[in-house]
Amino acid sequence: MNTAAWAYVAYGMTAFGALAVYFALPRGEQSHRAAALVAGAAAIGALLLALHGGAGDAARPTLTFVVLSILAVYAGARVITHRKPVYSALYFVLVVFATAGLAISAGAQFLAAALVIVYAGAILVTYVFVIMLAQQSPDATGARPIVDYDLRSREPVTAVLAGFLLVATLTGLIVTRRWPAAAPPSAANSLALGEVLLTRYAVAVEVAGVLLMVAMLGALVIARRHVPSEAPGPIEPPLPPGEAGRRVEPF
Amino acid sequence: MSPGGQLMFIGAILFGLGVTGFVTRRNLIIMFLCTEVMFQGILLNLIGVGLTRGNLQGQAAGLFVLVVAAVEAGLGLAIVVLLYRRRGTLDAEKWSALRG
Repeated sequence: MNTAAWAYVAYGMTAFGALAVYFALPRGEQSHRAAALVAGAAAIGALLLALHGGAGDAARPTLTFVVLSILAVYAGARVITHRKPVYSALYFVLVVFATAGLAISAGAQFLAAALVIVYAGAILVTYVFVIMLAQQSPDATGARPIVDYDLRSREPVTAVLAGFLLVATLTGLIVTRRWPAAAPPSAANSLALGEVLLTRYAVAVEVAGVLLMVAMLGALVIARRHVPSEAPGPIEPPLPPGEAGRRVEPF
Repeated sequence: MSPGGQLMFIGAILFGLGVTGFVTRRNLIIMFLCTEVMFQGILLNLIGVGLTRGNLQGQAAGLFVLVVAAVEAGLGLAIVVLLYRRRGTLDAEKWSALRG
C-alpha cells in the first residue's frame, strides 16, 4: 500500500472506534452493547492492520506488544464508558499495567517500574478513597442506585466527534510519517537514565521536588478549610473525633 | 512503522479517549480519571519519540510527567472532595454557574 492509503486505514480505525465509544457511552436506560462490540472489534482489526504497516520499513510488532496495546486501548475505552466509578478506576489500573508493559517492550524499565509504583500504588488508592467517600447512601433494599450523572453523558455526539477529529489527525500523521528505526534497547536503562537525570536535568529534578512539596502544602490547606454545605436536606453534624468509630455498625 | 511510531500510535489513541471522556462524562471523579488516561497517552508518546531519536530524553521527560500527574491527582481530588462537601453531589453540571 502507498503512504496515503495508510492514512485512510487510520481514519477508518478512528471512525469505528468513535462509533464504538458512542454506543458504549451511558445514555439513560437504553443499551447498545452489541453495536458497541461490533464497532469495537472492527476498530481493533484496523488497529492491528495499522500496527503491522505504515509508511517506511514496516517493523512487525511482537505478539506481546500487540496484546498489550489492545489491552490498553480496550481498558481506556472502558474507563470512559463504564457506569460505575469504581469499575472505571479498576479499568484504569489495567491501562497503567498495559502502559508499563509497553514501556518495558521499548526498553524503558525504570519508567515502567515508576509507573506501576506511582500510579497503581499511590494515585489509584487516592482515587478509590475519594470514590468511597463520595458514594451515594444505599436505599431501603441496601442496593446503591446508579446516580443520574453516571447514567447520562453530556453531549455524546459532539464529544465523540471532537475525539474522532483529534485522533484521526494524530494517527493519520503518525502512520504516514517515516520514523527512523529504533536503537536497540539498552539493558542498563536505569543506570543511564539516572546519569541523565542527575547531570543534564539536575535543576529540573530539584524543581520537580519543590513542585511536589508545594502541592502537598496546598492539599493540606484545602483540606483544612471549613466548607459551608449548600446541599438540600438536613446534614448530620460532624461527630467529635472519638465518637466516629463507635457508631460504625458491625457487618 | 518503527516501534517508536507504534508507541506514538497507541499513545495518540489513549489521549483521544481521555479527551472524549473528559468532555462527555459528568462525574467529577471520572473526569479526573480521564485526565490520567491522557497522561498515559502522553507518556507512551514520549517513550516513542525517545525511541526514534535513540536517546533517553523522552524517558526523562516522562518522569516529570509522572510528577505532574501525582500533583494533579492530589490537588484535583482535594478540590473534588471540597465540591462534594459543599453541594452533596459529584455532578459537574451543578457547577455550570462557573461558566459565566
